[in-house]
Amino acid sequence: MGNEVRNKVKEEVKTEHEDKVKKEAKDEMKNEMKGEMKNEIKNEMKGEPEKKENGNKTEIEMKTTPGENSDIIIEGIDIVRTFKMGEVQVRALRGVNVKIRRGEFVAIMGPSGSGKTTLLNQLGLLDTPNSGRVIIDETDTSRMPDREKGKFRLHNLGYVFQDYALLPELDASENVYISLMMQGKTKEEYESAAAEILTAVGLGDRLHQLPSKMSGGQQQRVSIARALAHNPRVLFADEPCANLDSQTSKEVLDLFKKFNKEMGQTIVMVTHEDWHAAYADRVIRLKDGILE
Amino acid sequence: MLEKAKVSFFLASRSIVRGNRGITIFTVFVLTLIFVQLVLFSSMLAGVTLKFNELMVDFQTGNVVVEPTEEERYIESASALQKKIESLPQVVGTSARLKTTGNFRYKEKEMGGTVYGIDPADEIFVTGLEDAVISGEFLSRPDRGEIILGREVSGSFGALMESRSLGGVEVGDTVELTVSGKTREFRVKGIYTTRYFMADASAYLSRADMEEMLGIENRDFAQEIAVKTTAGTDEYETRNALLSLGVRENIRTWHEFAGILRLIENTLGLVRNIMNAIGLLIAFVIIFVVIYVNIVNKKRQIGVQKAIGIEQNVIVASFVLQAMLYAGTGIILGYAFMRFGLVPYTESNPVEIPLGAMSLRLDDAEAINRAFLLFLASIIGSVIPAYKLAQKDLLDLIWGK
Ligand SMILES: Nc1ncnc2c1ncn2[C@@H]1O[C@H](COP(=O)(O)OP(=O)(O)OP(=O)(O)O)[C@@H](O)[C@H]1O
Ligand SMILES: [Mg+2]
Repeated sequence: MGNEVRNKVKEEVKTEHEDKVKKEAKDEMKNEMKGEMKNEIKNEMKGEPEKKENGNKTEIEMKTTPGENSDIIIEGIDIVRTFKMGEVQVRALRGVNVKIRRGEFVAIMGPSGSGKTTLLNQLGLLDTPNSGRVIIDETDTSRMPDREKGKFRLHNLGYVFQDYALLPELDASENVYISLMMQGKTKEEYESAAAEILTAVGLGDRLHQLPSKMSGGQQQRVSIARALAHNPRVLFADEPCANLDSQTSKEVLDLFKKFNKEMGQTIVMVTHEDWHAAYADRVIRLKDGILE
Repeated sequence: MLEKAKVSFFLASRSIVRGNRGITIFTVFVLTLIFVQLVLFSSMLAGVTLKFNELMVDFQTGNVVVEPTEEERYIESASALQKKIESLPQVVGTSARLKTTGNFRYKEKEMGGTVYGIDPADEIFVTGLEDAVISGEFLSRPDRGEIILGREVSGSFGALMESRSLGGVEVGDTVELTVSGKTREFRVKGIYTTRYFMADASAYLSRADMEEMLGIENRDFAQEIAVKTTAGTDEYETRNALLSLGVRENIRTWHEFAGILRLIENTLGLVRNIMNAIGLLIAFVIIFVVIYVNIVNKKRQIGVQKAIGIEQNVIVASFVLQAMLYAGTGIILGYAFMRFGLVPYTESNPVEIPLGAMSLRLDDAEAINRAFLLFLASIIGSVIPAYKLAQKDLLDLIWGK
């Protein structure tokens, strides 16, 4: 089944060279379309558009440019991330350039320690690269102070962690609506939004259950609901199925696919499994901190 | 701003409701104890002071004391003045006294003390000395050559300063008394104790005997007139009433005699302040530790909260709110325990101290002050660890570094 999806996606894929002028015009159009599709919150929260010069960077991923209806939602330019471990410097990312298109479902793959999580964290603004830039929807986030980044994450990004990372003292619905609450939504708004999204992930009957009383698959679905409740521009998932059996993994991946297809949700997912990656439109492969 | 407070409150309330019951109960319990500790010493001190004051009023000064003016040694025509004072409706009785220091001698032992010359019939309306007699009897009007000794003079009967005393005088014994150069022998008619050692280091004899020793026979002199008023009468009102009666002598309320008490009170007050400071420090440390442990366990949660965009201030505030709620609950429980438990208990079952039966006195203003300080300690004790942790890099928090 996974292979079928992948093949379909591949059929749609066209290789074409970028025509900048044309693309910018398209961007405008796309943004308007998106605005209609997504709810108003999102548009309100959209950062200041900032024009970016791409320069002459070698864009490895361009070889798999998707269909003509896409524009770039995330651009990582020359991302370098080095960790200091005592005396030793670990170069987790060594100059990664990556572009992800709106509505794309991208899988990041690579051997253990290749820097997948690190890359996801840079793109998801959970971490700050030592050098390089991350541009999300034309907003250059590289010089954003932490506070601004937090705000940006709250309004624009969603995360699904490997171990769900639900807040144990909050029930399913509360876990989902806490970020909406933080955004300043009214009680009616956030409660109904939480109920709606939890119903969409198949947990409509467990709104007030605590995470500790749920199975791993259920918890991961709550975490997906939380990540999507505020209609993020991008959903980031780091090995979301690593702790789940294959049946539950399939359910979770089907959910991802559903949101990707039906809502045009952009998803960036790290995975080890080929059959997980098969759900994605495109696979980015990392090895030793650089793209393969 | 308001939504942020709302989120903090939401997180704090969920944490309290769904968090570890044991930790919550323990924290509140500890804070309750700390609050009780903070007010207990003050309450004891207030209780002791009250007892001291009661004893002084009951056995020494009455409510108001009339003394000779600065220039005079004696109040002249004391009985006329007594009658005048007794005409006031709030006055229960007056006692004109001669008062001097004297030297007692019994067998080999000698000691100094205050000696009063009193009219026993008048004295019983002013002080409770008659009831304070624990051996023998109180003086009566025709008695001459007889003396009543406090237990600090007689010795034994549980005297606090036994070694200074005459070392075990008993009723019926004869003691020598020297006053202004004249020495006379007196038969001990009674021994009293007020439990107030200052009052117990005195002796009482008839005013006539004292007049004779001072060489002022039949002159109707007095060195002080102690005035007892009905319960609840304000001493300053009594003084004003006396002034408007035309009393020209010095009028002092018992408060003005409480100088030594104030000294003791101030000394104990210093001890109290030190104990409060220590108590607060302990409170601070305990709150800090409890909140710290609590927060360290929630490192990952804090990281996740930060990751999904909950502001750092909101996270810190949620922990501070929690600590404030614990402190508030501890304060309320501690106050309730004192106000409705320990204080009433000691009132119906007074604690025996050397001064007599003492009960605790809880001063609300003081309690509010301590509550405020404890609250402050809980805020600081929670802000520091919460801020320190929430400030960390969110990935470090999530990966538990
Ligand atoms: N916080 C950190 N401190 C030090 N080194 C780190 C840190 N995070 C990652 N690294 C190192 O960076 C490299 C890339 O790590 P990363 O977690 O991105 O790999 P990964 O591809 O996600 O691996 P896995 O498949 O095992 O999850 C590794 O060598 C790792 O040890
Ligand atoms: Mg990883």
